[in-house]
Amino acid sequence: VITITRAPPYLTVQDSGRRHSRASGVPPGGAIDLFALRAANALAGNHIDAAGLEWALGGGSITFEQDAVFSLGGARAHAILSGKAAAPWTTIYARSGDELTIEQISGGRFLYLAVSGGIDVPLILGSRSTYLPGRFGGYLGRMLKRGDSLPVGAQTGQPPPSGFHSAADLLPRYETGIVHITRGTHADLFSESAWRTLTESEYVVSAASDRTGYKLEGAALSNPAGSLPSEASCPGSIQIPGDGFPIALMADAPTVGGYPKIAVVAEADLPILAQRSPGDAIRFELITIEQSQRALKRRTSDLHTISQLASRSSR
Amino acid sequence: LTSPQLRAHPLGDSAVTITFGTERTAKLLRQIHAAAHSLHAAKLPHIEDVVPAYLALTVFYDARHTSYAEIAKKVLEVCDQPARFAHDARETREHLIPVHYAGMDLEAVAVATGLSVGEVVERHTRRAYTVDLLGFVPGFAYLSELDTSLQLPRRAEPRPRVPAGSVAIAAAQTAVYPLDTPGGWHIIGRTQTVMFDPAREPPALLRAGDTVRFRRVT
Repeated sequence: VITITRAPPYLTVQDSGRRHSRASGVPPGGAIDLFALRAANALAGNHIDAAGLEWALGGGSITFEQDAVFSLGGARAHAILSGKAAAPWTTIYARSGDELTIEQISGGRFLYLAVSGGIDVPLILGSRSTYLPGRFGGYLGRMLKRGDSLPVGAQTGQPPPSGFHSAADLLPRYETGIVHITRGTHADLFSESAWRTLTESEYVVSAASDRTGYKLEGAALSNPAGSLPSEASCPGSIQIPGDGFPIALMADAPTVGGYPKIAVVAEADLPILAQRSPGDAIRFELITIEQSQRALKRRTSDLHTISQLASRSSR
Repeated sequence: LTSPQLRAHPLGDSAVTITFGTERTAKLLRQIHAAAHSLHAAKLPHIEDVVPAYLALTVFYDARHTSYAEIAKKVLEVCDQPARFAHDARETREHLIPVHYAGMDLEAVAVATGLSVGEVVERHTRRAYTVDLLGFVPGFAYLSELDTSLQLPRRAEPRPRVPAGSVAIAAAQTAVYPLDTPGGWHIIGRTQTVMFDPAREPPALLRAGDTVRFRRVT
Protein backbone atom coordinates (compact mmCIF):
# COMPACT_ATOMS: atom_id res chain seq x y z
CA VAL A 1 0.00 0.00 0.00
CA ILE A 2 1.12 3.56 -0.67
CA THR A 3 -0.55 6.58 0.93
CA ILE A 4 -0.80 10.12 -0.38
CA THR A 5 0.48 12.27 2.47
CA ARG A 6 0.51 15.57 0.54
CA ALA A 7 -1.36 15.67 -2.76
CA PRO A 8 -0.08 17.70 -5.72
CA PRO A 9 -2.73 19.71 -7.62
CA TYR A 10 -3.00 16.88 -10.16
CA LEU A 11 -2.46 13.19 -9.42
CA THR A 12 -4.20 10.22 -11.07
CA VAL A 13 -3.75 6.50 -11.69
CA GLN A 14 -2.94 5.74 -15.35
CA ASP A 15 -1.84 2.76 -17.42
CA SER A 16 -1.69 2.09 -21.17
CA GLY A 17 -5.36 3.02 -21.61
CA ARG A 18 -8.52 1.55 -23.16
CA ARG A 19 -7.99 0.34 -26.68
CA HIS A 20 -11.23 -1.47 -27.47
CA SER A 21 -14.09 0.85 -26.52
CA ARG A 22 -13.82 3.70 -29.01
CA ALA A 23 -16.97 2.50 -30.80
CA SER A 24 -18.84 3.22 -27.54
CA GLY A 25 -17.34 6.71 -27.51
CA VAL A 26 -14.72 5.94 -24.86
CA PRO A 27 -11.38 7.66 -25.55
CA PRO A 28 -8.21 5.58 -25.15
CA GLY A 29 -6.96 7.72 -22.27
CA GLY A 30 -4.03 6.27 -20.38
CA ALA A 31 -0.71 7.97 -19.58
CA ILE A 32 -0.41 11.11 -21.72
CA ASP A 33 3.33 10.32 -22.01
CA LEU A 34 2.94 6.59 -22.41
CA PHE A 35 6.64 6.04 -23.12
CA ALA A 36 7.62 7.53 -19.75
CA LEU A 37 5.19 5.37 -17.76
CA ARG A 38 6.21 2.25 -19.67
CA ALA A 39 9.93 2.88 -19.18
CA ALA A 40 9.38 3.62 -15.47
CA ASN A 41 7.46 0.32 -15.23
CA ALA A 42 10.35 -1.58 -16.82
CA LEU A 43 12.79 0.03 -14.34
CA ALA A 44 10.54 -0.96 -11.41
CA GLY A 45 10.50 -4.55 -12.68
CA ASN A 46 6.89 -4.37 -13.93
CA HIS A 47 5.14 -5.32 -17.13
CA ILE A 48 5.17 -2.12 -19.22
CA ASP A 49 1.35 -1.90 -19.14
CA ALA A 50 1.11 -1.83 -15.32
CA ALA A 51 -0.69 1.10 -13.67
CA GLY A 52 1.33 3.92 -12.10
CA LEU A 53 0.77 7.47 -10.93
CA GLU A 54 0.64 10.48 -13.26
CA TRP A 55 1.70 13.60 -11.40
CA ALA A 56 1.60 17.30 -12.46
CA LEU A 57 1.40 20.96 -11.49
CA GLY A 58 3.38 20.88 -8.28
CA GLY A 59 4.92 19.08 -5.37
CA GLY A 60 3.60 16.54 -2.91
CA SER A 61 4.50 13.45 -0.92
CA ILE A 62 3.61 9.79 -0.73
CA THR A 63 4.48 7.23 1.92
CA PHE A 64 5.39 3.61 1.24
CA GLU A 65 3.52 1.45 3.76
CA GLN A 66 5.57 -1.57 2.68
CA ASP A 67 9.02 -2.22 1.24
CA ALA A 68 8.82 -1.30 -2.43
CA VAL A 69 10.84 -0.83 -5.59
CA PHE A 70 9.96 2.19 -7.68
CA SER A 71 11.09 4.38 -10.56
CA LEU A 72 10.36 7.95 -11.67
CA GLY A 73 10.19 9.05 -15.29
CA GLY A 74 8.87 11.77 -17.58
CA ALA A 75 9.08 15.35 -16.32
CA ARG A 76 12.23 16.45 -14.50
CA ALA A 77 11.58 16.82 -10.83
CA HIS A 78 13.37 17.51 -7.59
CA ALA A 79 12.62 14.24 -5.80
CA ILE A 80 13.73 13.13 -2.34
CA LEU A 81 13.29 9.73 -0.68
CA SER A 82 13.63 10.06 3.10
CA GLY A 83 16.37 12.67 2.87
CA LYS A 84 18.24 11.38 -0.18
CA ALA A 85 17.87 12.57 -3.77
CA ALA A 86 15.87 10.16 -5.96
CA ALA A 87 17.24 10.10 -9.52
CA PRO A 88 14.93 9.82 -12.54
CA TRP A 89 14.78 6.73 -14.81
CA THR A 90 16.43 4.72 -12.04
CA THR A 91 15.50 1.67 -9.96
CA ILE A 92 15.13 2.76 -6.33
CA TYR A 93 14.43 0.62 -3.25
CA ALA A 94 12.19 2.11 -0.56
CA ARG A 95 11.68 0.78 2.96
CA SER A 96 8.31 0.56 4.64
CA GLY A 97 7.66 4.01 6.16
CA ASP A 98 9.85 5.90 3.66
CA GLU A 99 8.41 9.11 2.29
CA LEU A 100 8.93 10.21 -1.31
CA THR A 101 8.67 13.96 -1.75
CA ILE A 102 8.51 15.76 -5.06
CA GLU A 103 9.55 19.30 -4.22
CA GLN A 104 8.77 20.69 -7.63
CA ILE A 105 8.61 19.82 -11.28
CA SER A 106 11.52 21.66 -12.89
CA GLY A 107 11.08 20.78 -16.54
CA GLY A 108 8.41 19.06 -18.57
CA ARG A 109 4.88 18.55 -17.40
CA PHE A 110 3.88 15.00 -16.35
CA LEU A 111 5.91 12.91 -13.93
CA TYR A 112 5.35 9.16 -13.60
CA LEU A 113 5.83 6.98 -10.57
CA ALA A 114 5.89 3.23 -11.20
CA VAL A 115 5.86 0.92 -8.18
CA SER A 116 6.82 -2.75 -8.47
CA GLY A 117 3.60 -4.78 -8.65
CA GLY A 118 1.69 -1.81 -10.11
CA ILE A 119 -1.17 0.19 -8.59
CA ASP A 120 -3.88 -2.41 -8.07
CA VAL A 121 -7.17 -0.61 -8.71
CA PRO A 122 -10.03 -2.42 -10.53
CA LEU A 123 -9.86 -2.97 -14.27
CA ILE A 124 -12.61 -1.01 -16.04
CA LEU A 125 -13.00 -1.77 -19.75
CA GLY A 126 -9.60 -3.44 -19.75
CA SER A 127 -7.70 -0.61 -18.07
CA ARG A 128 -6.92 0.93 -14.69
CA SER A 129 -6.67 4.46 -16.15
CA THR A 130 -8.60 7.32 -14.59
CA TYR A 131 -10.98 9.00 -17.03
CA LEU A 132 -11.86 12.18 -15.18
CA PRO A 133 -14.58 13.51 -17.56
CA GLY A 134 -16.51 10.23 -17.18
CA ARG A 135 -15.65 9.84 -13.46
CA PHE A 136 -14.59 6.22 -13.87
CA GLY A 137 -11.40 4.17 -13.76
CA GLY A 138 -8.37 4.66 -11.53
CA TYR A 139 -9.15 5.36 -7.88
CA LEU A 140 -12.93 5.95 -7.63
CA GLY A 141 -12.83 7.80 -10.98
CA ARG A 142 -11.22 10.85 -9.43
CA MET A 143 -7.95 12.64 -8.69
CA LEU A 144 -6.02 11.43 -5.67
CA LYS A 145 -6.27 13.39 -2.44
CA ARG A 146 -4.38 13.51 0.82
CA GLY A 147 -5.06 10.40 2.87
CA ASP A 148 -5.91 8.14 -0.08
CA SER A 149 -4.31 4.70 0.25
CA LEU A 150 -3.66 2.71 -2.91
CA PRO A 151 -3.18 -1.05 -2.99
CA VAL A 152 -0.05 -2.25 -4.76
CA GLY A 153 -0.09 -5.57 -6.65
CA ALA A 154 2.17 -8.51 -6.00
CA GLN A 155 5.64 -8.29 -7.56
CA THR A 156 5.70 -10.45 -10.67
CA GLY A 157 9.46 -10.98 -10.88
CA GLN A 158 12.78 -9.86 -9.47
CA PRO A 159 13.19 -6.09 -10.07
CA PRO A 160 16.54 -4.71 -11.27
CA PRO A 161 19.16 -3.93 -8.59
CA SER A 162 19.14 -0.58 -6.85
CA GLY A 163 20.64 2.16 -9.03
CA PHE A 164 19.92 0.43 -12.33
CA HIS A 165 19.09 3.13 -14.85
CA SER A 166 18.21 3.63 -18.47
CA ALA A 167 20.79 4.95 -20.92
CA ALA A 168 19.81 8.46 -22.02
CA ASP A 169 19.96 7.55 -25.71
CA LEU A 170 17.07 5.11 -25.24
CA LEU A 171 14.77 7.94 -24.10
CA PRO A 172 12.86 10.43 -26.29
CA ARG A 173 14.73 13.71 -26.85
CA TYR A 174 12.40 15.66 -24.62
CA GLU A 175 14.50 18.82 -24.78
CA THR A 176 14.06 19.30 -28.53
CA GLY A 177 10.94 21.16 -29.49
CA ILE A 178 10.68 19.28 -32.80
CA VAL A 179 7.46 17.33 -33.29
CA HIS A 180 7.09 15.24 -36.44
CA ILE A 181 3.69 15.04 -38.12
CA THR A 182 2.04 13.12 -40.96
CA ARG A 183 -0.65 14.44 -43.27
CA GLY A 184 -4.10 14.26 -41.66
CA THR A 185 -7.32 12.99 -43.22
CA HIS A 186 -8.18 16.55 -44.35
CA ALA A 187 -4.67 17.64 -45.32
CA ASP A 188 -5.74 18.31 -48.92
CA LEU A 189 -8.35 20.88 -47.86
CA PHE A 190 -5.60 23.23 -46.73
CA SER A 191 -3.70 25.54 -49.06
CA GLU A 192 0.02 25.35 -49.66
CA SER A 193 0.43 28.55 -47.71
CA ALA A 194 -1.42 27.08 -44.73
CA TRP A 195 0.96 24.13 -44.85
CA ARG A 196 3.97 26.43 -45.03
CA THR A 197 2.67 28.31 -41.99
CA LEU A 198 2.19 25.08 -40.03
CA THR A 199 5.63 23.68 -40.80
CA GLU A 200 7.71 26.86 -40.87
CA SER A 201 6.47 28.88 -37.91
CA GLU A 202 6.79 28.33 -34.21
CA TYR A 203 3.82 27.44 -32.03
CA VAL A 204 3.49 27.91 -28.30
CA VAL A 205 1.42 25.64 -26.07
CA SER A 206 -1.37 27.78 -24.62
CA ALA A 207 -2.65 27.81 -21.04
CA ALA A 208 -5.85 26.26 -22.42
CA SER A 209 -4.35 22.79 -22.59
CA ASP A 210 -4.99 19.64 -20.61
CA ARG A 211 -5.32 15.87 -21.11
CA THR A 212 -8.07 16.51 -23.67
CA GLY A 213 -6.02 18.69 -25.98
CA TYR A 214 -3.27 21.28 -26.30
CA LYS A 215 -4.35 24.55 -27.88
CA LEU A 216 -1.49 26.13 -29.82
CA GLU A 217 -0.76 29.83 -30.20
CA GLY A 218 1.10 31.29 -33.16
CA ALA A 219 0.13 31.90 -36.75
CA ALA A 220 -3.54 31.12 -37.48
CA LEU A 221 -4.29 28.83 -40.44
CA SER A 222 -7.25 29.63 -42.59
CA ASN A 223 -9.76 26.83 -42.29
CA PRO A 224 -11.47 26.53 -45.65
CA ALA A 225 -13.95 23.88 -44.56
CA GLY A 226 -15.44 25.22 -41.33
CA SER A 227 -16.95 22.20 -39.69
CA LEU A 228 -17.30 18.81 -41.41
CA PRO A 229 -19.47 15.77 -40.70
CA SER A 230 -17.94 14.17 -37.60
CA GLU A 231 -15.50 11.30 -37.95
CA ALA A 232 -13.00 9.51 -35.73
CA SER A 233 -10.02 11.35 -34.24
CA CYS A 234 -7.05 10.01 -32.34
CA PRO A 235 -4.61 11.42 -29.80
CA GLY A 236 -2.12 13.52 -31.76
CA SER A 237 -4.70 14.70 -34.32
CA ILE A 238 -4.11 18.37 -35.11
CA GLN A 239 -7.46 19.92 -35.83
CA ILE A 240 -8.14 23.43 -37.04
CA PRO A 241 -11.23 25.04 -35.50
CA GLY A 242 -12.92 28.20 -36.81
CA ASP A 243 -10.41 30.58 -35.21
CA GLY A 244 -7.54 28.95 -37.15
CA PHE A 245 -5.42 28.11 -34.09
CA PRO A 246 -4.47 24.43 -34.08
CA ILE A 247 -5.54 22.08 -31.29
CA ALA A 248 -3.52 18.89 -30.80
CA LEU A 249 -5.89 16.30 -29.36
CA MET A 250 -4.50 14.30 -26.44
CA ALA A 251 -5.30 11.11 -24.52
CA ASP A 252 -8.78 12.04 -23.22
CA ALA A 253 -10.06 13.77 -26.39
CA PRO A 254 -13.50 12.74 -27.67
CA THR A 255 -13.39 9.81 -30.10
CA VAL A 256 -15.07 11.75 -32.92
CA GLY A 257 -14.99 15.38 -34.01
CA GLY A 258 -16.02 17.67 -36.83
CA TYR A 259 -13.07 20.04 -37.19
CA PRO A 260 -10.80 19.31 -40.16
CA LYS A 261 -7.65 17.42 -39.22
CA ILE A 262 -4.71 18.89 -41.09
CA ALA A 263 -2.10 16.58 -39.56
CA VAL A 264 -1.40 13.94 -36.93
CA VAL A 265 1.58 13.93 -34.56
CA ALA A 266 3.91 10.96 -35.04
CA GLU A 267 3.28 8.60 -32.10
CA ALA A 268 7.01 8.44 -31.43
CA ASP A 269 6.94 12.19 -30.75
CA LEU A 270 3.71 12.32 -28.76
CA PRO A 271 5.71 12.15 -25.48
CA ILE A 272 7.70 15.22 -26.56
CA LEU A 273 4.51 17.19 -27.20
CA ALA A 274 2.81 15.85 -24.04
CA GLN A 275 5.69 17.13 -21.89
CA ARG A 276 5.38 20.70 -23.22
CA SER A 277 4.02 23.13 -20.62
CA PRO A 278 2.02 26.28 -21.38
CA GLY A 279 4.47 28.81 -22.83
CA ASP A 280 6.81 26.19 -24.32
CA ALA A 281 7.51 26.42 -28.05
CA ILE A 282 7.35 23.65 -30.66
CA ARG A 283 7.97 23.29 -34.36
CA PHE A 284 6.35 20.80 -36.68
CA GLU A 285 8.21 18.78 -39.32
CA LEU A 286 6.29 16.84 -41.95
CA ILE A 287 7.23 13.20 -42.57
CA THR A 288 5.59 10.32 -44.45
CA ILE A 289 3.50 7.62 -42.78
CA GLU A 290 6.27 5.11 -43.55
CA GLN A 291 8.85 7.28 -41.77
CA SER A 292 6.49 7.85 -38.89
CA GLN A 293 5.76 4.14 -38.41
CA ARG A 294 9.50 3.39 -38.61
CA ALA A 295 10.14 5.97 -35.88
CA LEU A 296 7.42 4.32 -33.76
CA LYS A 297 9.03 0.91 -34.27
CA ARG A 298 12.38 2.36 -33.14
CA ARG A 299 10.73 3.87 -30.05
CA THR A 300 9.08 0.52 -29.28
CA SER A 301 12.37 -1.30 -29.70
CA ASP A 302 14.16 1.21 -27.39
CA LEU A 303 11.53 0.45 -24.76
CA HIS A 304 12.04 -3.24 -25.33
CA THR A 305 15.79 -2.75 -24.87
CA ILE A 306 15.22 -0.99 -21.53
CA SER A 307 12.97 -3.89 -20.43
CA GLN A 308 15.50 -6.49 -21.56
CA LEU A 309 18.45 -4.80 -19.83
CA ALA A 310 16.36 -4.35 -16.68
CA SER A 311 15.33 -7.99 -16.50
CA ARG A 312 18.83 -9.23 -17.35
CA SER A 313 20.38 -7.06 -14.62
CA SER A 314 18.06 -8.59 -12.02
CA ARG A 315 19.45 -12.09 -12.51
CA LEU B 1 -11.99 -2.38 -56.07
CA THR B 2 -15.57 -2.47 -57.28
CA SER B 3 -16.38 0.81 -55.47
CA PRO B 4 -13.98 3.37 -56.92
CA GLN B 5 -15.18 6.05 -54.48
CA LEU B 6 -13.61 4.24 -51.50
CA ARG B 7 -10.49 6.05 -50.27
CA ALA B 8 -8.03 5.04 -47.56
CA HIS B 9 -6.02 7.60 -45.61
CA PRO B 10 -3.79 7.17 -42.56
CA LEU B 11 -4.99 8.76 -39.31
CA GLY B 12 -1.63 8.77 -37.61
CA ASP B 13 0.42 5.64 -37.01
CA SER B 14 -2.32 3.44 -35.60
CA ALA B 15 -5.48 4.12 -37.59
CA VAL B 16 -6.79 4.14 -41.15
CA THR B 17 -9.85 6.12 -42.23
CA ILE B 18 -11.86 4.78 -45.15
CA THR B 19 -14.00 7.45 -46.79
CA PHE B 20 -17.10 6.13 -48.57
CA GLY B 21 -18.45 9.28 -50.19
CA THR B 22 -18.80 13.02 -49.93
CA GLU B 23 -22.49 13.43 -49.18
CA ARG B 24 -24.32 12.54 -45.99
CA THR B 25 -27.16 10.21 -46.93
CA ALA B 26 -29.05 7.42 -45.15
CA LYS B 27 -27.85 5.04 -47.87
CA LEU B 28 -24.18 5.88 -47.35
CA LEU B 29 -24.60 5.47 -43.60
CA ARG B 30 -26.12 1.98 -44.11
CA GLN B 31 -23.18 1.07 -46.34
CA ILE B 32 -20.73 2.22 -43.65
CA HIS B 33 -22.56 0.32 -40.89
CA ALA B 34 -22.59 -2.83 -43.06
CA ALA B 35 -18.85 -2.48 -43.64
CA ALA B 36 -18.25 -2.04 -39.89
CA HIS B 37 -20.22 -5.23 -39.26
CA SER B 38 -18.17 -7.11 -41.87
CA LEU B 39 -14.92 -5.83 -40.38
CA HIS B 40 -15.95 -7.31 -37.02
CA ALA B 41 -16.91 -10.58 -38.71
CA ALA B 42 -13.69 -10.72 -40.77
CA LYS B 43 -11.58 -10.69 -37.56
CA LEU B 44 -8.53 -9.20 -39.27
CA PRO B 45 -5.46 -9.54 -37.06
CA HIS B 46 -4.13 -6.60 -34.97
CA ILE B 47 -7.37 -4.60 -35.12
CA GLU B 48 -8.41 -2.80 -31.93
CA ASP B 49 -11.55 -0.83 -32.82
CA VAL B 50 -13.84 0.08 -35.70
CA VAL B 51 -15.47 3.52 -35.44
CA PRO B 52 -18.16 4.26 -38.05
CA ALA B 53 -19.15 7.87 -38.82
CA TYR B 54 -21.20 9.83 -41.42
CA LEU B 55 -18.91 9.63 -44.46
CA ALA B 56 -16.19 7.31 -43.26
CA LEU B 57 -15.21 4.60 -40.87
CA THR B 58 -11.92 4.38 -39.01
CA VAL B 59 -10.09 1.23 -38.06
CA PHE B 60 -7.63 1.41 -35.16
CA TYR B 61 -4.81 -1.15 -35.17
CA ASP B 62 -1.69 -2.15 -33.28
CA ALA B 63 1.14 -0.66 -35.36
CA ARG B 64 3.72 -2.72 -33.49
CA HIS B 65 2.69 -5.77 -35.53
CA THR B 66 1.61 -4.45 -38.94
CA SER B 67 1.96 -1.46 -41.26
CA TYR B 68 -0.38 1.11 -42.74
CA ALA B 69 -0.04 -0.31 -46.25
CA GLU B 70 -0.86 -3.84 -45.11
CA ILE B 71 -3.88 -2.86 -42.99
CA ALA B 72 -5.26 -0.37 -45.53
CA LYS B 73 -5.27 -3.04 -48.23
CA LYS B 74 -7.11 -5.59 -46.09
CA VAL B 75 -9.62 -3.09 -44.71
CA LEU B 76 -10.38 -1.74 -48.19
CA GLU B 77 -11.05 -5.29 -49.40
CA VAL B 78 -13.64 -5.84 -46.69
CA CYS B 79 -15.27 -2.43 -47.15
CA ASP B 80 -15.47 -3.00 -50.89
CA GLN B 81 -17.38 -6.28 -50.65
CA PRO B 82 -18.80 -6.53 -47.14
CA ALA B 83 -21.14 -9.41 -48.00
CA ARG B 84 -18.15 -11.69 -48.70
CA PHE B 85 -16.95 -11.37 -45.10
CA ALA B 86 -20.15 -11.36 -43.04
CA HIS B 87 -21.92 -14.69 -43.37
CA ASP B 88 -24.86 -13.58 -41.23
CA ALA B 89 -26.78 -10.43 -41.95
CA ARG B 90 -26.26 -7.74 -39.38
CA GLU B 91 -28.72 -8.29 -36.54
CA THR B 92 -31.19 -5.44 -36.31
CA ARG B 93 -31.22 -4.25 -32.75
CA GLU B 94 -34.22 -2.20 -31.68
CA HIS B 95 -34.45 -0.25 -28.45
CA LEU B 96 -37.54 1.22 -26.84
CA ILE B 97 -36.64 4.01 -24.44
CA PRO B 98 -39.30 5.18 -21.97
CA VAL B 99 -39.29 8.97 -21.55
CA HIS B 100 -40.96 11.24 -19.04
CA TYR B 101 -41.64 14.31 -21.19
CA ALA B 102 -41.24 17.26 -18.82
CA GLY B 103 -37.88 18.68 -19.90
CA MET B 104 -36.96 22.24 -19.01
CA ASP B 105 -37.07 23.31 -22.66
CA LEU B 106 -40.28 21.48 -23.64
CA GLU B 107 -42.50 24.56 -23.39
CA ALA B 108 -39.93 26.71 -25.24
CA VAL B 109 -39.67 24.09 -28.00
CA ALA B 110 -43.47 24.12 -28.35
CA VAL B 111 -43.44 27.91 -28.64
CA ALA B 112 -40.54 27.97 -31.11
CA THR B 113 -42.08 25.29 -33.35
CA GLY B 114 -45.64 26.63 -33.10
CA LEU B 115 -46.89 23.26 -31.87
CA SER B 116 -48.61 22.27 -28.66
CA VAL B 117 -46.60 20.37 -26.04
CA GLY B 118 -48.69 17.28 -26.85
CA GLU B 119 -47.85 17.59 -30.54
CA VAL B 120 -44.12 17.92 -29.80
CA VAL B 121 -44.24 14.70 -27.76
CA GLU B 122 -46.37 12.93 -30.36
CA ARG B 123 -43.95 13.85 -33.16
CA HIS B 124 -40.92 12.85 -31.12
CA THR B 125 -42.36 9.41 -30.24
CA ARG B 126 -43.84 8.71 -33.67
CA ARG B 127 -40.58 7.95 -35.45
CA ALA B 128 -38.01 5.19 -35.41
CA TYR B 129 -34.52 6.74 -35.29
CA THR B 130 -31.23 5.37 -36.54
CA VAL B 131 -28.05 5.59 -34.45
CA ASP B 132 -25.76 7.55 -36.80
CA LEU B 133 -22.65 7.42 -34.62
CA LEU B 134 -21.41 7.59 -31.05
CA GLY B 135 -19.05 10.19 -29.67
CA PHE B 136 -18.83 13.59 -27.94
CA VAL B 137 -18.80 11.78 -24.58
CA PRO B 138 -18.89 8.02 -23.87
CA GLY B 139 -22.25 6.52 -24.84
CA PHE B 140 -23.61 9.66 -26.54
CA ALA B 141 -25.50 8.46 -29.64
CA TYR B 142 -26.57 10.84 -32.40
CA LEU B 143 -30.03 9.72 -33.60
CA SER B 144 -31.62 10.68 -36.93
CA GLU B 145 -33.88 11.91 -38.24
CA LEU B 146 -36.08 14.24 -36.31
CA ASP B 147 -39.45 15.31 -37.71
CA THR B 148 -38.83 18.49 -39.76
CA SER B 149 -41.33 20.46 -37.68
CA LEU B 150 -39.19 19.85 -34.54
CA GLN B 151 -35.88 20.95 -36.02
CA LEU B 152 -34.37 23.92 -34.16
CA PRO B 153 -30.80 25.23 -34.03
CA ARG B 154 -28.81 24.50 -30.86
CA ARG B 155 -29.30 26.83 -27.91
CA ALA B 156 -27.24 30.01 -28.23
CA GLU B 157 -25.94 29.50 -24.69
CA PRO B 158 -24.91 25.92 -23.93
CA ARG B 159 -25.67 24.83 -20.36
CA PRO B 160 -22.64 24.04 -18.20
CA ARG B 161 -24.30 20.88 -16.89
CA VAL B 162 -27.00 18.75 -18.48
CA PRO B 163 -28.02 15.84 -16.21
CA ALA B 164 -27.53 12.26 -17.36
CA GLY B 165 -30.74 10.79 -18.81
CA SER B 166 -31.86 14.07 -20.40
CA VAL B 167 -33.59 13.51 -23.74
CA ALA B 168 -32.79 16.36 -26.09
CA ILE B 169 -33.14 17.59 -29.65
CA ALA B 170 -31.06 19.86 -31.92
CA ALA B 171 -31.18 20.40 -35.68
CA ALA B 172 -32.17 17.09 -37.34
CA GLN B 173 -31.08 14.89 -34.43
CA THR B 174 -32.16 13.69 -31.02
CA ALA B 175 -30.11 12.10 -28.23
CA VAL B 176 -30.01 11.02 -24.61
CA TYR B 177 -27.21 12.50 -22.48
CA PRO B 178 -25.41 9.48 -21.01
CA LEU B 179 -23.39 11.43 -18.40
CA ASP B 180 -23.66 14.81 -16.69
CA THR B 181 -21.94 17.05 -19.25
CA PRO B 182 -22.15 20.53 -20.70
CA GLY B 183 -24.65 20.64 -23.55
CA GLY B 184 -26.40 22.96 -25.98
CA TRP B 185 -29.37 20.82 -27.04
CA HIS B 186 -33.02 21.47 -26.11
CA ILE B 187 -34.04 19.21 -23.23
CA ILE B 188 -37.55 17.84 -23.68
CA GLY B 189 -37.62 14.87 -21.31
CA ARG B 190 -35.84 12.40 -19.11
CA THR B 191 -35.30 8.64 -19.11
CA GLN B 192 -34.22 6.17 -16.42
CA THR B 193 -32.58 3.96 -19.06
CA VAL B 194 -28.84 3.73 -18.42
CA MET B 195 -27.20 4.72 -21.71
CA PHE B 196 -23.62 4.19 -20.55
CA ASP B 197 -22.22 1.94 -17.85
CA PRO B 198 -18.44 1.40 -17.73
CA ALA B 199 -19.02 -1.88 -15.86
CA ARG B 200 -20.87 -3.26 -18.90
CA GLU B 201 -19.30 -4.72 -22.06
CA PRO B 202 -19.87 -2.97 -24.37
CA PRO B 203 -20.44 0.01 -22.08
CA ALA B 204 -22.76 1.94 -24.42
CA LEU B 205 -26.35 0.71 -24.71
CA LEU B 206 -26.57 1.82 -28.34
CA ARG B 207 -24.41 0.86 -31.30
CA ALA B 208 -24.11 2.68 -34.63
CA GLY B 209 -26.80 1.32 -36.96
CA ASP B 210 -29.28 0.38 -34.19
CA THR B 211 -32.90 1.55 -34.25
CA VAL B 212 -34.38 3.55 -31.37
CA ARG B 213 -37.95 4.49 -30.48
CA PHE B 214 -39.12 6.64 -27.58
CA ARG B 215 -42.25 5.87 -25.56
CA ARG B 216 -44.06 8.37 -23.34
CA VAL B 217 -44.36 7.45 -19.66
CA THR B 218 -45.75 9.52 -16.82
